[in-house]
Amino acid sequence: MSAVLTLEHVKKTIKGNPIINDLSFSVQAGEIFGLLGPNGAGKTTTIRMIVGLIGLTDGDIIVSGKSVKKNFEEAVKNIGAIVENPEMYKHLTGYQNLKQYARMHKGISKEKIDEVIELVGLTERIDEKVRTYSLGMRQRLGLAQCLLHDPKLLILDEPTNGLDPAGIREFRDHLRMLTETKGMSVIVSSHLLSEMEMMCDRIAIIQQGTLTDIQYVRDFVDNDQMVYLIETGPLDNVKNWLQQDWNATFVDSGFTVSVNKEEVPLLLNRLIDSKVSVYSAKEIVKTLEQRFLEVTTHTNGGL
Amino acid sequence: MGNLLMNEWIKIFRKLSTTIMIVLLLLGIVTMGAFYKYQETTSTTQVNENWKQELQTQISSDQEGLTTAGENNANMKTYYERQIALNEYRIENDIAPNNEQHIWTFVGDSQMMISLAGLFSIIIAAGIVSSEFSSGTIKLLLIRPISRVKILLSKYITVLLFGILMLAIIYLFSSLVGLVLFGLPSTDVSHLAYSNGEVIERSISFNLVIQYLLSSIDILMIATMAFMISSAFRNSSFAIGISLFLLFMGGTATILLASWFDWTKYILFANTDLTAYFDGVPIVEGMTLSFSIVMLLIYFLIFHLLAFGIFAKRDVAA
Ligand SMILES: Nc1ncnc2c1ncn2[C@@H]1O[C@H](COP(=O)(O)OP(=O)(O)OP(=O)(O)O)[C@@H](O)[C@H]1O
Ligand SMILES: [Mg+2]
Repeated sequence: MSAVLTLEHVKKTIKGNPIINDLSFSVQAGEIFGLLGPNGAGKTTTIRMIVGLIGLTDGDIIVSGKSVKKNFEEAVKNIGAIVENPEMYKHLTGYQNLKQYARMHKGISKEKIDEVIELVGLTERIDEKVRTYSLGMRQRLGLAQCLLHDPKLLILDEPTNGLDPAGIREFRDHLRMLTETKGMSVIVSSHLLSEMEMMCDRIAIIQQGTLTDIQYVRDFVDNDQMVYLIETGPLDNVKNWLQQDWNATFVDSGFTVSVNKEEVPLLLNRLIDSKVSVYSAKEIVKTLEQRFLEVTTHTNGGL
Repeated sequence: MGNLLMNEWIKIFRKLSTTIMIVLLLLGIVTMGAFYKYQETTSTTQVNENWKQELQTQISSDQEGLTTAGENNANMKTYYERQIALNEYRIENDIAPNNEQHIWTFVGDSQMMISLAGLFSIIIAAGIVSSEFSSGTIKLLLIRPISRVKILLSKYITVLLFGILMLAIIYLFSSLVGLVLFGLPSTDVSHLAYSNGEVIERSISFNLVIQYLLSSIDILMIATMAFMISSAFRNSSFAIGISLFLLFMGGTATILLASWFDWTKYILFANTDLTAYFDGVPIVEGMTLSFSIVMLLIYFLIFHLLAFGIFAKRDVAA
């Protein structure tokens, strides 16, 4: 796999304040990559640096083999982006707005514009002034704007902000379709983990300008092993084999264990055979959400 | 570049305010025409048989002024010398002062409207960059595979084209209104110009084109400055405020200063009125046309260095 985007030790200092500290990661072709972090973590700042809106204090950003710093035009050609809110020319219609952006890239046909409008579901309202659009419709127009030139890398800062549940679902499907059929890579930022989990292949957690964790979401979702909390009476007689065979962790009211669903009866039978009183066995959902909260609350959040 | 200019042009002309500007300009010219027409019908213009005698009296009174006021004021001296030369030329060549209104006098009078055109051009210049910042659209504009210098250049050229369009509207529309209301001149008229102690006759319509261009120089410079302020500070009200203040006060303040300080000649507004070198007197003694042109170029360059330098480098965090 080849990296479409690579950040190499990127640093950003604004007026003496370090906003981004030594950020490095890369995004592969066809991947949906999530930037997750609390408010003020530096997600938008990172995105602004990738698209060249703000300069880098140190480090470099490579898009499709071209440095944003040294070869801005060649690098940014491969990017389609929404940075924060998708602001458009309010006195122009949706279509006129798209034409504006189409004129700034090479070889965008009328058919392409219509195709993109169809894809984001704005066909009916496209000839109305953007002034009259709802937030969700502006988001859709924003998405249309960054798809016009078939970029290799799509960067979307809080893209689902303002979309209704059906819209969010549709948006997720679009992203899947774009990555699978066109091999596009996508970076999505959000502070909502639940949303990111459903959308992304990999999630990076950013806090106070530092990358604290990168995880594959699929590892979690595909993994059949769940954590169970088994509430029991005294465990003195069975502690040995519980620890050795099942790698259990003991807590006040019993123990927790990470197993497949099918193994649960096996474990319970053995406990009962050993005359241990079993009161309950329940699944504890330990998702990325917990991981996220764990990590982010340790350091007093980002605020 | 063509596409960028087209984009800017569309953004400007889809705005209601631009339509209003053009309508105001046209209305202004029509109103002026109506006013002059009314004046013409109420005042009876009879041919003055004694005009040579009157001019002679005028010349002697100017000569008196020349010896008294011209003694210690070079500006006044040149002014009187010019008046005397023009009047003497009229007597010698039998060209009666003509009070007749016709198409060309009206096109000339319409130069008043250039201030209005200037006002509009400055508003456009002050808003063309800063409005992208205030609406947030600058982000979507600057993430295209086009350098910031090119984007800013397309915006500046658009401002110039807008100004030229405004001038063309005034010239052409006032010719039309002038033709309809006052008709063509009854006799062959030409423009009397005074330069280097000599009186020259020039074609009047050509002279008007030159006059229009020359009287737009201060607007060009102020619009360029407004453009610079708007690109550097990203704030259109600041750019409009300071530019309009200078447009209306700069000239007057410079004239006031000119009578006390010699360094006034380095001020932008001392150099924007190039007509002084053709038909009048320079504001500070000893100034020449080439001096003013060099000064204008220096200001122009400084404005653009600031605008482009700051716009190309600064972080966009709007
Ligand atoms: N122009 C600026 N000047 C000074 N500080 C800034 C500037 N822009 C951003 N910051 C600071 O940088 C930090 C990161 O901001 P950023 O907008 O990147 O956060 P974010 O992760 O996008 O947050 P959110 O989830 O609220 O969108 C914040 O502490 C912010 O105050
Ligand atoms: Mg943000």
